[in-house]
Amino acid sequence: MIGLGLRTLFVKEVRRFLRVPGQTLLSPLVTTTLYFVVFGWSLGSRLKEVEGIPYARFIVPGLVTLGVVSNAYLNSASSLFVMKLQGTVIDILVSPLSYGEILAAFLAAAAVRGLMVGVIMWLVGGVFTGFALAHAFHALLLLVMVAVSFAALGLITAIWASSFEQVNFFPTFIITPLTFLGGVFYSAAMVPAGLRLFTVVNPVFYMVDGVRFGMLGFSDAPPAVGLAILLLLCAASVGGAYVMLRSGYKLRG
Amino acid sequence: MPEPVVSVHGLSKRFGELLALDRVDLDIRPGEIFALLGPNGAGKTTLISIVAGLLRATEGTASVLGRDVVRDYRFTRRAIGLVPQEINFDPFFTVEESLRLQAGYFDVALPRERLEEILEALDLGSKRHANTRSLSGGMKRRLLIGKALVHEPKVLFLDEPTAGVDVELRQSLWRYVRTLCARGTTIVLTTHYLEEAEELADRVGVIDQGRLLVVADKDELLRRHAGKTLRVALAAPLAEVPEALRAAGFRLEPGGSTIAAIAPPGASFGPALAALAASRLAVKDLETIRMRLEDVFVSLVRGNGGSRGKGAAA
Repeated sequence: MIGLGLRTLFVKEVRRFLRVPGQTLLSPLVTTTLYFVVFGWSLGSRLKEVEGIPYARFIVPGLVTLGVVSNAYLNSASSLFVMKLQGTVIDILVSPLSYGEILAAFLAAAAVRGLMVGVIMWLVGGVFTGFALAHAFHALLLLVMVAVSFAALGLITAIWASSFEQVNFFPTFIITPLTFLGGVFYSAAMVPAGLRLFTVVNPVFYMVDGVRFGMLGFSDAPPAVGLAILLLLCAASVGGAYVMLRSGYKLRG
Repeated sequence: MPEPVVSVHGLSKRFGELLALDRVDLDIRPGEIFALLGPNGAGKTTLISIVAGLLRATEGTASVLGRDVVRDYRFTRRAIGLVPQEINFDPFFTVEESLRLQAGYFDVALPRERLEEILEALDLGSKRHANTRSLSGGMKRRLLIGKALVHEPKVLFLDEPTAGVDVELRQSLWRYVRTLCARGTTIVLTTHYLEEAEELADRVGVIDQGRLLVVADKDELLRRHAGKTLRVALAAPLAEVPEALRAAGFRLEPGGSTIAAIAPPGASFGPALAALAASRLAVKDLETIRMRLEDVFVSLVRGNGGSRGKGAAA
């Protein structure tokens, strides 16, 4: 039974991002459309197929994963951090909401935003490359786990951060490089040995690769590896966020 | 003696080197208005923040309605409403949405009648659909009070609720606080305005440098600590006070046209008035001034080392 408190915080968090759709939903739509205009239309005919898959179609799972990762992270990170700055975090700190309820509401709302953006990107990609899904459930399961994991990392950052610069540090210097070098735009087999080594030790590669298996039926690594890595990341990030909330670190003096 | 609504024992809070609260013991009685007075940084907000769950104590315990605020936080937070000192607002939502959301966090589906009552009592009815960003400072503060009341708390903490609020609004908030108290809500108030404590409070606690210096009924505190001053305006200025009047306690005030004597708590001005009559000085006017809570507060804080030398109420 989900309590009214948890539902209220979840609804509030969802309404918050829906009230600025230009920033939260339309912006990724424009960016993704541009990716497909450039890679699918302008350059598509000059790029090779990857394992028999047109290049524009090959990059769809990576771009969807990238959208889910950044939006799930940004939602929980910016929402909680702004609440800290505005002082409205008091509203939930004085409430009887349990730590688990606060965590669940933030993660669920951020995952909803991440997945909405993911679906928008998939739909845009589908217009250019087709809508067929090889293993739809596998893709959805992985994307939900990606969304929850990065939502939890966003929450951890928001609790720890004291400035916007610190909030932006993680996506700028960690998430974006790991994602772009995690096989969003290439298969591990396509790149030189040095970059391949970097790719195969990058956990994001296995997420992108697993989602690609779900959407296209093709992957560099066994799909179970991506699932296992995501399970570990999910457990560690959600567990870490829970421990930080419960400890009161930087929230309760 | 009824069970206290709020009870703290040996409560200490340390921020690094700073001891913000030093082994505070305090019981708040049901249905009373308790004013916590102290200079800036005395520990007032720290104390109520620990009880409300915003801070964790370094040592000691705090309970609400007999339940520990850490172990039974879900129970105790349902019993507490907190109006924070700093104004905050969420610019994504309207006044009505903010009240409904806050009620939801407390597992309360805010009934229409309760919503109307709060909006009317705080004069926010016309702004119910306004974005909180568009409210004036006074309205934002009233919204904070509304948010603290949505779940009908047993005890309401008001942390300097009328700071920066105009006189008219302050008076209307005082009336509302009295109404809440009459309905059985226990009120704990910290305030910049000692006049506010004097007007509203049943009991007063004075805190300074983290230590609770005194807790007493307001009237008892005034009786115990507050003397009176007799000021006599003379028809002609004096260069110095005659010896007989000096022996009766009179001192010359600046300008020489007024002399004044102070009677400690419980003493009368009989001997001073007799000496004045005997002196045959021509008197133009005469008044007695009772020390107010502010004077008592200042004298208590100065007695504690002057609160880092300031002595100003905050």
